[in-house]
Amino acid sequence: MAQDSEWEPKLVGFLCRWCSYAGADLAGTSRKKYPANIGIIKVPCSGRVDPLFILKALRLGFDGVLVSGCHPGECHYQTGNYRARRKIALTKKFLEYMGIDPRRLQASWISASEGGKFTEVTTQVTKELKEAGPNELFADDK
Amino acid sequence: MTNREAEQRLRDEAKSLLESAKVDYIVGFADGSLKFHTTPLITRNKDDVDHLVINPFMASNLAKFLTELEGRVGIVAKGCDSRSIVSLVQDNKVSREKVVIVGIPCRGMINLSKIEQLAGKESDEIDDITRQGDKVVVKLDGSEKEIPVKEVLFDHCLACELPTPKEYDLLIDEPIPATPDEEASQAKINKLEELSHHERWRFWQNEFSRCIRCYACRNVCPACYCQRCFVEEAEPQWILSIPKWQDNLIFQIIRNIHLAGRCTDCGECERACPVNIPLRSLSKEMYDLVGELFGFKSGMEIDAAPLLTHYELEEAEDFFR
Repeated sequence: MAQDSEWEPKLVGFLCRWCSYAGADLAGTSRKKYPANIGIIKVPCSGRVDPLFILKALRLGFDGVLVSGCHPGECHYQTGNYRARRKIALTKKFLEYMGIDPRRLQASWISASEGGKFTEVTTQVTKELKEAGPNELFADDK
Repeated sequence: MTNREAEQRLRDEAKSLLESAKVDYIVGFADGSLKFHTTPLITRNKDDVDHLVINPFMASNLAKFLTELEGRVGIVAKGCDSRSIVSLVQDNKVSREKVVIVGIPCRGMINLSKIEQLAGKESDEIDDITRQGDKVVVKLDGSEKEIPVKEVLFDHCLACELPTPKEYDLLIDEPIPATPDEEASQAKINKLEELSHHERWRFWQNEFSRCIRCYACRNVCPACYCQRCFVEEAEPQWILSIPKWQDNLIFQIIRNIHLAGRCTDCGECERACPVNIPLRSLSKEMYDLVGELFGFKSGMEIDAAPLLTHYELEEAEDFFR
């Protein structure tokens, strides 16, 4: 993919079913404008997000991944987001050590009432990914 | 206690464990068929225990066999092996009551390839390698060469935090205090960290284009005990079964993430790798991250909750918007 002014990053968002997905819904129903760069995958809980999903998305050529769940203490399953936090923090740090730009893995806490925060986060993440450029990590030519 | 006395005591203890039926198996080290190598000895026969040895070449981590053997097992364990056993107990893979840990204080294991490199000879051409305090004496073509021990130990041995097992039932010989040399052990990783993201990715890309996906790293790892590994999943097929570097890299990244909080830096993956990929530079980094972010050291406290099943209310928040 050639990088020109037309280039737009593609982003996968793993949003938890209870908070962040509802937050994204709210952004939509309240007619807030957020970047169309994000493709949303609904997951039962942010704790469901396996680091493998993140790697697979990058391997498929997505430019970035956003993992989002309920605020700490507000998880529908009590502890799912705390577990997610440990996993995501380790994954992010480890991927950075491997040589993956840390901007490619982002995480946030967005509650069902925070449609505004959802638009802010996606706008910001899209902007950062634009700066990071196209994901050529797994491209075959050396 | 001299080495010979320690070896004798180990054999006596092993024999009495079998005779008194306290264990069904003894797992230890015996001399290998090649010079300066050891091979795992797994036996139910009390006459076999006379083959047990203690020497600076027993590099394998025998904890691997615990998940495969049924019944009670008496296992010879260096400090690092004992950490792997503790980690397996924490994961409920091994029941503590079914294991008799025969602890061996360890001064570090000798990396034969480092000796071969320094001596400029294959190991079967070397007459003898003996450890004398802080030196290793290599006998070669009738002459003797002294090498400081730090130059020939495995990298992970240099950073050893637990030379003497903390969790044991029997301890052969006197405990040895830990003298970790982080600097020397960390040399390869520090070099990598100086590179840019791009250069680092290229480095790993290059290393993993050599990988033949033989899974030796996975098969030798005591913490890799899954019945079915994600790489063998067919629906969905996460990675291709042909060893392309992209998929090799994903395999190894995910393997290391799975091992977070369970890898005890025993260095077995790197030792087993047939194409010499510096795998410890990955596992040690994960080991350090776990310590840095969550103050967790795997295999140290037997009562500690496994890293990824536990959480604190406030931690690692700076990764989240």
